[in-house]
Amino acid sequence: MEQLLSIASDAPGKRLFLMGNEAIARGAIEGGVQVAAAYPGTPSSEIMETLASVAKELGLYVEWSTNEKVAFEVALAASVSGVRALASMKHVGVNVAHDAIVTASHIGAKGGLVLVEAEDPWMWSSQNEQDNRHIAEQAYLPVLEPSSVQEAKDMMAQAFQLSEEFAHPFIVRSVTRIGHARSDVVLGQITKERRGGSFRKDPSWLVYTPAGARRNKPLMLQRFEAIKRASNGFPYNQLSLAKGAELGIVACGLSYSYTLEALEWLGLEGKVSLLKIGTPYPLPEELVKELLNSVKEALVVEELDPFVELHLKALAHEAGLSTKIHGKDLLPRIGELSTRKVTEAIAKLTHSKLPLDFSKLDKLKEEVAPLVPLRPPALCPGCPHRASFYAITTAARRVARDYGEGVQPIYPGDIGCYTLGYTPPLEAVDTTICMGGSFGMANGLAHVVKAPIVAHLGDSTFFHAGIPPLINAVYNKANITMVVLDNSATAMTGFQPHPGTGYTAVGDKTTQLRPEEVARGCGVQFVEVVDPLEVEKAIATVERAIRFEGPSLVVFRRLCTTLELREKREKGEKIIPYRVDEEKCQIKCNACIKLLGCPALIRVGGKTTIDASLCTGCGLCAQICPYNAIVIGEQDNG
Amino acid sequence: MAEELNILITGVGGQGVILMSELLGKAAVDDGLKVRGSEILGMAVRGGAVVSIIRIGQGVFGPLIPEGKCDVLVGMEFAEALRNIAYLSKSSLAVINSRKIIPYTVSLGLSPYPSYEQALGKLRQAAGEVVVIDGDRLARQAGGSLSTNIVMLGALFGTQRLPIKTDTMRGTIKRRFPKQAKINLKAFELGYQACQWKGAT
Repeated sequence: MEQLLSIASDAPGKRLFLMGNEAIARGAIEGGVQVAAAYPGTPSSEIMETLASVAKELGLYVEWSTNEKVAFEVALAASVSGVRALASMKHVGVNVAHDAIVTASHIGAKGGLVLVEAEDPWMWSSQNEQDNRHIAEQAYLPVLEPSSVQEAKDMMAQAFQLSEEFAHPFIVRSVTRIGHARSDVVLGQITKERRGGSFRKDPSWLVYTPAGARRNKPLMLQRFEAIKRASNGFPYNQLSLAKGAELGIVACGLSYSYTLEALEWLGLEGKVSLLKIGTPYPLPEELVKELLNSVKEALVVEELDPFVELHLKALAHEAGLSTKIHGKDLLPRIGELSTRKVTEAIAKLTHSKLPLDFSKLDKLKEEVAPLVPLRPPALCPGCPHRASFYAITTAARRVARDYGEGVQPIYPGDIGCYTLGYTPPLEAVDTTICMGGSFGMANGLAHVVKAPIVAHLGDSTFFHAGIPPLINAVYNKANITMVVLDNSATAMTGFQPHPGTGYTAVGDKTTQLRPEEVARGCGVQFVEVVDPLEVEKAIATVERAIRFEGPSLVVFRRLCTTLELREKREKGEKIIPYRVDEEKCQIKCNACIKLLGCPALIRVGGKTTIDASLCTGCGLCAQICPYNAIVIGEQDNG
Repeated sequence: MAEELNILITGVGGQGVILMSELLGKAAVDDGLKVRGSEILGMAVRGGAVVSIIRIGQGVFGPLIPEGKCDVLVGMEFAEALRNIAYLSKSSLAVINSRKIIPYTVSLGLSPYPSYEQALGKLRQAAGEVVVIDGDRLARQAGGSLSTNIVMLGALFGTQRLPIKTDTMRGTIKRRFPKQAKINLKAFELGYQACQWKGAT
């Protein structure tokens, strides 16, 4: 029965329709993973969610760690104890784990150790689009890069074996269009072996004093050289030489799929040589040289930086080859590649006619652009962060007046749904850099700027990276107000549990940590908790916190609306929206829209109304309307 | 290109666009077809524009539809259909829900919003055929105001362009919504019929 198949079924040869991240999780299961740890981050989160959903059934240990560094260390510890382990994270999470990763490569691996990192070309949901192949190179960690969802699953399964064969950690590099792509996937066999971990005391291997590092670096380099030689025979690297071809294409990872489509579109299949690269680092040098030797020109197709391109140029130089190597001269360094972009680059080099007049499409886009509304992501209707931001900015502006004329409060912000508070009309985020960066930036600002400084981050981010800068503020006497926007969820990435929720990744109950208790324990003298939807009280609390001499902390506690609505629907509770009383509404005022920017508040035909299908009944607008014109109950439109 | 069918579903975060492609893909796999698809999740979908892609057939490799190569565009919100006009060609069909979801940027006076006439005019120039359906009304008629996406899925099947058997799709819907099967199957039928009727006129 087809529908009984699940991600945990041992049904080799059967096909399932999977999201890339589910396929990666399935690959880990097939590869015999026993320990898996992660911190959520788009586009990687579903890998650990999938593993957590089958952990008990399959006897795996799966955790949401407080941050990526801890996740990687959990996996590393399992590996040195002989157990197969996985850590997964988004690309910027690798920065957090970086300290552990670089020394881990000196240790190597006993149980297969795989790091999955998910990059986000075009920064769909990220603060940058860093290319982590540079970090892999710096740490001497080999990278497997899939060209499709199927290959992501297959590589993942094999990565554990490779890691044990070479006693070295492996990286699997995913991107948004792998992890959040969907495909039919042919399943493989599940490795059922379950090992007991055993820790062997061996300071010469595991204690990184300078002497230890000097001893182990040459061993690491030897392991890496072995992997480099073997990469020529890895099935993910494939060379197909076309007879008499003048152009050779080197297609890396996902770019291979765009390249296949482009060649087909241009009618050039079998007319150019093609090297598919599944290990951008280390490169299969023998295959590369064979290709470069056989063609006049080469085009490297890879997303983001010219990583393979530069290595190819170095190899060509070393081998004394004069092959002209193209790459980022014809393809962008920024954003995702596409069949069109690759088609245009190949057409240019082969002097082929384009299969479509792309300029016509661009013209069409330009024509409709003035008609298409701006629809940036926005805080959901009813989101408690909107109320928190209203309270923060109202209180901070009030205090700023006492600092002197023209003084503006500063709001260092962070990574999460609440980053969206930077948009008008809330304008409550002045900086967003990295996880925990809000409290960190506030520390620095406190010593150079005379203004109220209110930094805010979410509950999950607080546990991830907010505590060291909070301690720093206490220790170094930074006069700042720190706000935890506690909606009991890691909402942006899909509501994963965290230390503040009282539940683990597999749904077990655990100690529930409270940011206010952490802050008190760390020596913050002003700590208060308030519901942001009690608007007047919330404003007054923030005002007292800002006026407090020294670091202060306010926790805004209110469940994420999406979760609240989900709970209500499950219980069969009715969601009662608000409406505008047209007799009381002073149409020109428009304060609700101008102050809150809630998607449920709309201006239609010069009148303010509430879209009942979007309104969640939070009542924030009713509290701030100067004319009490917003009342509970659906609009009667006749 | 070789045999392929490219479906682009557009809408606004919260309309169930991604669920539609999930259901389509599952049904396609149940019918033994090769499927590729892609979507954007995370920050981009918080009330923002959403695009989901499903590609069916032996000729597809990549997760994205090249511009100008969309066979059927499903617009859950008509301004969003307009945003993706460059995917259309004279051989493509657009099935559009007449729902307007006006973003806060429009209420704040920061952004335009097209009239039906403007949007449909442009879409009709670009596509071979444009069908407009009041999906939200049909969903309410089926008894589930949240089922507009299933109405539009029905409309997509009503175009008769899909290689997936309609019964396979019904089975996938039934399995996905064991408690709400009746409402969703009704929504699917209403969408299916609406599209046929429009196609006939």
